Amino acid sequence: MAKTAAQWEAKPKFPETHYVDSRVYTDEAIFEEEKEKLFKPSWIIACHESEMAAPYDYRLFKHPAGVPLIVIRGDDNKVRAFYNICPHRGNTILYDPAGNAKRLTCIFHQWSFDSRGNCIDISRAEQGYQQRFCKEDAAMREVRCEVAFGGFVWVNLTDDAPALREFIGSAMDILEPYMQQPMEVFHYHKAHVRTNFKLWHDTNSEFYHDYLHYFNRITGMMQPGYFDRKYTGFPNGHATVGSMQIQYDKYEGSKERAVGWPGLARGGWYMVDVFPGMTYNLRTSVLRIDTAIPLGPNEAIIEFRGLGLKSDTEEERRQRVFDHNMIWGPFGRNLHEDLLGVHGQGRALRKDSDARWILQGREENNTIHDEVGMRHYYAEWARRMGRPAYDPYREGKPGPVRAAA
Amino acid sequence: MNIEKRKAIEELVYRSCLALDGQDYKAFLSLCDESFRYSICTYSPEIRREMVWLDHDRKGMETLFTNLPRHNSDHSPLTRHATVYTVEEKGAEAEVVSALQVFKTQLDGGATELFAVGRFHDTVSLQKLKLERRLVRLETRLLGYGYHIPF
Repeated sequence: MAKTAAQWEAKPKFPETHYVDSRVYTDEAIFEEEKEKLFKPSWIIACHESEMAAPYDYRLFKHPAGVPLIVIRGDDNKVRAFYNICPHRGNTILYDPAGNAKRLTCIFHQWSFDSRGNCIDISRAEQGYQQRFCKEDAAMREVRCEVAFGGFVWVNLTDDAPALREFIGSAMDILEPYMQQPMEVFHYHKAHVRTNFKLWHDTNSEFYHDYLHYFNRITGMMQPGYFDRKYTGFPNGHATVGSMQIQYDKYEGSKERAVGWPGLARGGWYMVDVFPGMTYNLRTSVLRIDTAIPLGPNEAIIEFRGLGLKSDTEEERRQRVFDHNMIWGPFGRNLHEDLLGVHGQGRALRKDSDARWILQGREENNTIHDEVGMRHYYAEWARRMGRPAYDPYREGKPGPVRAAA
Repeated sequence: MNIEKRKAIEELVYRSCLALDGQDYKAFLSLCDESFRYSICTYSPEIRREMVWLDHDRKGMETLFTNLPRHNSDHSPLTRHATVYTVEEKGAEAEVVSALQVFKTQLDGGATELFAVGRFHDTVSLQKLKLERRLVRLETRLLGYGYHIPF
């Protein structure tokens, strides 16, 4: 029997750790707080080292907390990150998303900076500032930056945040053996979706939605070992998903992936979800990286990267690109379905839409259709936000934020 | 190249758009040679690389079309608008470059938005008057939540 208004409003018959108030996806105030409490103190993937292989190569990155960044390889080959904001009158310093620049010169008044963030020229400095202000006063704002975990460039806006290794802990152990060889980005695109960034990460944190994908139903879900895949939660909200053997040849037009990945069992598939909105997805022959960049409570850009090995032959790379595009390209079978799914959630979960509760109640011994991945995420979300996700405004009884079971 | 031949090639390009707009894949494939190859490529200024986003031979395209109804897809129809810019005869083939705009119309309310711009780079068999090769070179790289049907 369908529900009345009161029944629809009633809290779900699950422990409070097993559902989420839909306002965590729609409220502007919560979104602004997330930028401060989730994104600013977290390590975020800005790009991959292969995107800036030579000295002075740079890459721009719009940090999820809103800060525009320049990531640049210095004359000493060290990768550093700076605000892409001129300290003079707040103009954008670099405009193109990538390039090579020995001098970073603001077009507005020609103030120039080197690849280490030092100001090296102020136009007519002496005449204007006399001895009151000099180049040393006009350095760029540097942001903490490390290259790690497969050659990715991580940035952190908070100077005293824990180190990257401490932030990740042992969550990446499952993938580290497969990221020992230099990798290279061969695919990059963005998807602009009217949805909350967490809904994308939720999708990457649960495999119950394999029902959405014909491809996965055929190649994975109906194959032996599928229900052996397990979620493991790690401190700071990260989670991993164990491997299985994907039967690619079960999908017409696909085939067994001959090119493979060094050390990875044929047809293997590992995932690592990194809090608050990144995912490593190593599937047989391709590593895919998602980075969620929220633009508002109901608007996000998702950056997608596809990587192969730097040592790939032309034929190996061609095969990896084919494998990638088959399911994960912009015209791929699965990516469109996943994005359509979160687009649909974005339509339904709007302020005033009365969506009310999001259920995360499946328990299957942490196996592939268990929703423990999402519960683990929202336990960390609650810890950082100081609000329980099931009652973000504490309209229920007051009490401490509870950890997920 | 005489006007009749050029007009026939232009019509081939336009018919290919009409067939895909109407999701009449049999009609589209009937315009393609047995040796047909279809690719979507674009350049990423972000990673400063050429990218291939789709690459299939005729059999691959047939399979793609066959599998479409098995997938969950956006059902908003696309309208392809092509303008043939140049036709160059090269032996038994013609190299044809056309401007392409793709519009998407929402099912609810019927609002139409520009979805993508790019170019068709077609190779046409002059004897068979069939498409041997279609390279869709996209300028647009932000495609929202994507699409299953090629342009």
